[in-house]
Amino acid sequence: MSRQIWDIPGGIHPAQNKIQSLQTEITRADIPAELVIPTQQHIGAPAKPCVEVGDKVLKGQVIAEGNGFVSLPVHAPTSGEVIAIESRPIQHPSQIDGVCIVLKPDSNDTWGARHPIDNYQSLERNDVIDAIRNAGIAGMGGAGFPSAIKLGIKPGTKIEQLILNSVECEPYITADDKLIQERADEIIAGLEIMQWLVNPQETLIGIEDNKPDAIAAFKKATANNNIEVVVVPTKYPSGGEKQLIYMLTGKEVSSGGLPSDVGVICQNTGTAYAINRAIHHGEPLVSRITTVTGDAVKHKGNYEVLLGTPVDALLAQAGADMSAASRLIMGGPMMGFSIHDASVPVVKVTNCLLAPTTEEIPVPAQEQACIRCGSCAQVCPAGLLPQQLYWFSKSNELEKAEHFNLADCIECGACSFVCPSNIPLVQYFRFGKGQIRKHKSETIKADHARERFEFRQARLEKEEREKEQKRKARAEAAAKKQAAKKAAALANPPSDASGSPTTPGTDDVADTASNATKLKSAWASATKRWKDAEKALTIAEKNGSDQLEAFQKKVDQLKAKAEKTKALYEDAKTSAASTSPSSPSASPSPAVAPVSNDPMVQLKQASADNFKAWKDAQKKTQEAEANSADNLEALREEEATLKAKSDASKAAMKEARAKEKEAMQAKKATEDPTKQLKLDAAIARTKAKKALKALNSLDDDHASHAALKAAYEKALATADNADAALKAAEEA
Amino acid sequence: MSVLHVTSPHVRKPMTTNAVMRHVIYGTIPGLAVLTLLFGWGTLINVVFGSLVAVAAEALVLRLRNRPILFSIKDGSAILTAVLLALAIPPTSPWWITVVGILFAIVIAKQLYGGLGSNPFNPAMIGYVLLLISFPLEMTTWIPANLTEGVAASPSFSQSLALIFGSVDRTVIDGITMATPLDTFKTYAGNDLDMLRSASVLQGSIAGVGWEWVNIAFLVGGLYLVARKIITWHIPVAMVTSLFLLAGLFYIIDPDSYADPIFHVLGGGTMLGAFFIATDPVTAATSNKGKLIYGALIGLLIYVIRAWGGYPDAVAFAVLLLNLCAPTIEYYTQPRAYGHKKANSGIAKS
Amino acid sequence: MSTVESTATDNPELDLPSTPKKTSSVDTKKIVSDGLWNNNAVLVQVLGLCPLLAVSGSIVNSLALGLATMFVITTSNIAVSMIRNYTTDTVRLPVFVMIIASFTTCIEFLMNAFTYELYLVLGIFIPLIVTNCAVLGRADAFASKNGVFASALDGLMTGLGFTLVIVALGTIREVLGQATLFDNMHLLFGDIAQNWTIHIVDDYKGFLFAILPPGAFVIMGFLLALKNIVDKKLKERATALADKPVSGSRRVRTTGNIS
Ligand code: SF4
Ligand code: SF4
Repeated sequence: MSRQIWDIPGGIHPAQNKIQSLQTEITRADIPAELVIPTQQHIGAPAKPCVEVGDKVLKGQVIAEGNGFVSLPVHAPTSGEVIAIESRPIQHPSQIDGVCIVLKPDSNDTWGARHPIDNYQSLERNDVIDAIRNAGIAGMGGAGFPSAIKLGIKPGTKIEQLILNSVECEPYITADDKLIQERADEIIAGLEIMQWLVNPQETLIGIEDNKPDAIAAFKKATANNNIEVVVVPTKYPSGGEKQLIYMLTGKEVSSGGLPSDVGVICQNTGTAYAINRAIHHGEPLVSRITTVTGDAVKHKGNYEVLLGTPVDALLAQAGADMSAASRLIMGGPMMGFSIHDASVPVVKVTNCLLAPTTEEIPVPAQEQACIRCGSCAQVCPAGLLPQQLYWFSKSNELEKAEHFNLADCIECGACSFVCPSNIPLVQYFRFGKGQIRKHKSETIKADHARERFEFRQARLEKEEREKEQKRKARAEAAAKKQAAKKAAALANPPSDASGSPTTPGTDDVADTASNATKLKSAWASATKRWKDAEKALTIAEKNGSDQLEAFQKKVDQLKAKAEKTKALYEDAKTSAASTSPSSPSASPSPAVAPVSNDPMVQLKQASADNFKAWKDAQKKTQEAEANSADNLEALREEEATLKAKSDASKAAMKEARAKEKEAMQAKKATEDPTKQLKLDAAIARTKAKKALKALNSLDDDHASHAALKAAYEKALATADNADAALKAAEEA
Repeated sequence: MSVLHVTSPHVRKPMTTNAVMRHVIYGTIPGLAVLTLLFGWGTLINVVFGSLVAVAAEALVLRLRNRPILFSIKDGSAILTAVLLALAIPPTSPWWITVVGILFAIVIAKQLYGGLGSNPFNPAMIGYVLLLISFPLEMTTWIPANLTEGVAASPSFSQSLALIFGSVDRTVIDGITMATPLDTFKTYAGNDLDMLRSASVLQGSIAGVGWEWVNIAFLVGGLYLVARKIITWHIPVAMVTSLFLLAGLFYIIDPDSYADPIFHVLGGGTMLGAFFIATDPVTAATSNKGKLIYGALIGLLIYVIRAWGGYPDAVAFAVLLLNLCAPTIEYYTQPRAYGHKKANSGIAKS
Repeated sequence: MSTVESTATDNPELDLPSTPKKTSSVDTKKIVSDGLWNNNAVLVQVLGLCPLLAVSGSIVNSLALGLATMFVITTSNIAVSMIRNYTTDTVRLPVFVMIIASFTTCIEFLMNAFTYELYLVLGIFIPLIVTNCAVLGRADAFASKNGVFASALDGLMTGLGFTLVIVALGTIREVLGQATLFDNMHLLFGDIAQNWTIHIVDDYKGFLFAILPPGAFVIMGFLLALKNIVDKKLKERATALADKPVSGSRRVRTTGNIS
């Protein structure tokens, strides 16, 4: 067993402080009076609640369903009654609220149906992965990335190493250590399931040499299989995924890449345990081991806690004296975040609650000037230059910070730990990263907006052209008709000498009048829409919505439209007024003439036009596809719009053929889909926003970033599509 | 419950900037003691007096700049500057030398650039160089160490006081001052070997009478700093090695014109410079590779200026010149970041 | 040069290219204030630093070089202004340089004749006036676009501004460097100035740094800072004064609109 251990650069040796919480066995935490279960305990889209207030649920029952690829379901941690589904403060560094399902336990803790899989080897791999997903298992070490996604490797990817991360390098935390000591066999069973799933060349367990008992337990449990326990020297942050991979294999995950790119999959100890419970016992993830420690806590130790247990309930059980605590930290002292509100729940990723006294962790000293001592660079495990990054983040020189690989900072805090000037470097880096993200998403947004704008511009131009053509055609037709009528009138003057000459005149008057009425109603509706939008804008303004600009634009547009219709209406009115009293022999004014046409012809014409446009666009898209042009998206969108338009106009034509009444109904019908589309678009937007939020809240530099981003972009695209469809429908 | 919102990490190493400065000052104690033993109380008086001036000057400028005064003075950087400058100037320098040097160091070289951490040049050395070029006479009159043949005792405390603050006719001490060993060597080497061999400051010593002890004392203090992890070994080792190798090379070529390497390494301000001046974190390179280059180039420049330049000792000039290069060295010695094929080098493109 | 040109555009009325302007319409007050302070060749445009830093070691040197430069700027400005309508754009710079060089040669000969020792002291820096950007700058940016009187005044004022700064610098350096004032003034003014020297401190050690070029840089930096401070204070006062009437009038206007 003389495996080479590669040494990571930098690293620090903070005081371990693990012994305090290792004295007792894992204690089962009491079921609290009320469980607050956030729908988002993982990275990705929050789950969608699928229970109603008042529902009785059993332990392990799904109470919220996964919502998309990067999402997980949430299960009831115990049996009881749903008493609320509302926004509650949740575990988040920036103390935001999230949708939570509040459960009132009935203290029976009755399990619902469990479906253990006895012989998973006989199943399809995907079915097992689905089972893991449906059990709601997320990485339990830090970020909470859905484990099923990590295990669902692309076919063809060769996994060389499967690594179980049992390093647990953060001071104070002993949750994994204790779990290994007591339930090593179950962890190994979970690891074996993963082994079967990804079929690696070798399976390694990375564990720090400060856990002799756990190492012994693992050695015993792995005596009869091909899993190797690799003991690494104690050093923070060797438990970082990328760091551990390097230490065990000498492979570096390239910047922005995923471990599977280099043929490695890394899973957490708790995750392996949870997978075992899920597959062999059919139990979804409803509880976890959490270390409760710190000098303000009387009964330090590890607790098996139901997810959703409020932190204060757990602390109360552990006998914590919060008046003595200097702060309350969720997670370890190096990477955890302090929480203000002790009512937040324990979630899938909560590995530690730390309530230290002021003597233990004093109030940070005031920040001094950086003396460029370089200590931070010496300890950075990612090989960065924190002092430079600090400078650039502080002065907002984001490009330079990016150039100095700010993105590769894992926010381990080693640099802040050693900085003699007490500079909260990590805080600056988080800020810098946030700025860069914001900047990027703004550029993306701007690009989208520009694309949309250009597309719209093109469309408007085209419409204008088409209208122009139609108008000309109609004017010609009218003139011809006129000429023909005149000719007819001239041909047989004696027969209808009394009525015939007046016909065109009265026709015109009637048309103009009806036209004016139409315009009037159009004006009214446009005005109403404008007013509505304005109202919405005021509300949005009050709420400080970030789409204010979009709203504003919309309002302006609507206003312009309303004004235009009004102007048109007035024109029409005056022309109607001027036409009606005129003598029967007055010739029709050309401006009014085109309106007096058969609607059927128009529709037919429009339908043909639209159809042609769609076909053209389709051809173009195909061509573009063939050439893999980069404006493919835009073209596709255009094609879709045109198709929708064409279809819609076809439908309209068909309907117009039917009776007047039916036409009216048809109009209503077309209105309804619009509503539906609007709804769809709104939903898609919200989704996109949520994804973005998730993306932004993702503080940990994690592999999941890319996946999330993809999800976000997908959502955005859906939203855009929906928008386009909506627009098309509206036009139709 | 009094929880306060602080971001991770929540624990920190107990080493603070103030402690760093304090330890560097502690590290100078052996050297200061030996200087006092050999040259009288002058250096100690200068150190104390200089520190007072430095603190006053710092406080004044901080006030003008509307910065918290006490907070910045407590970091000890001003005192450290004063100590280093006082150790470098002759023990019998009149008080105004100290005042001018320290004012320039603190006000212009440090605070005008933005205070601690923002100064591109080592303030103590800027002050030293200003003094050296402005008052060459005062800055090069060292009384000989009391071990020197024919020199009785070093000035007593009151004599030192009088020399520094009194209006003593300074021609009195002109009688007892001598050129420093490096100076002597420079004057005679290569042309008047008899004079060189008979110069009393060089008799019976390996690097000038007393100077080897001064340097050894600074070496001891420097090793303390390395042991306390206040500084790393890179800069001193690189600097002394390059100086030693270069001196050795030329000594082998022509021992009559060039001093032996031990003389260079243990003579003049070599050790003070290597452990206390060149290692000033603010103005030095930070990466290990960068530090090695930085130190080696200082050693090289020291030798070049000592051997062929116009000034007998060159630590200050060499350090300042390399201060100027430090950012460039930094840009080209960046570590390779995890997950990147190549290290960044050069200036960020924007 | 770019600085010079941009400064020319600061004055809207001087901006009109090559149309001869009537001298009467030139704002003499502005020329004076620009030359002496607002657009000072040294303190604002930071031109002509080479001679400025090299010879400003004492008052007498500074004064001599300042006067010589002033002479050259004024005369060359006049000459350039006179021929401004007869030179094409393409050849104007060589022509200007020739003119400046001629006047520089004049002053060099004059100094050689009347203040020989000073001539020796200033040495190469007298011929180097030709290359002083301030001289060519004024010729190109001002004299080639303005009438003779305005150009003469501009040259005089720019030269005076230069002289004042260099003399200030010389004074500070002389005091710091050797604790005297008006030392060696006889080199410029003849024997009557023999006893003008004032010793401020007896038994001064001499502060070589102030005499050497680095000292000139540092002191120059302080002068620039001083100018900025003064400007800031002036601006503050101006805005403080200007604020009152403006706010008053605004109040009158807004009464109708509010609420
Ligand atoms: S550890 Fe702190 S003081 Fe030292 S270089 Fe890094 S940021 Fe600056
Ligand atoms: S927080 Fe970032 S910069 Fe600091 S040591 Fe860790 S990886 Fe390096």
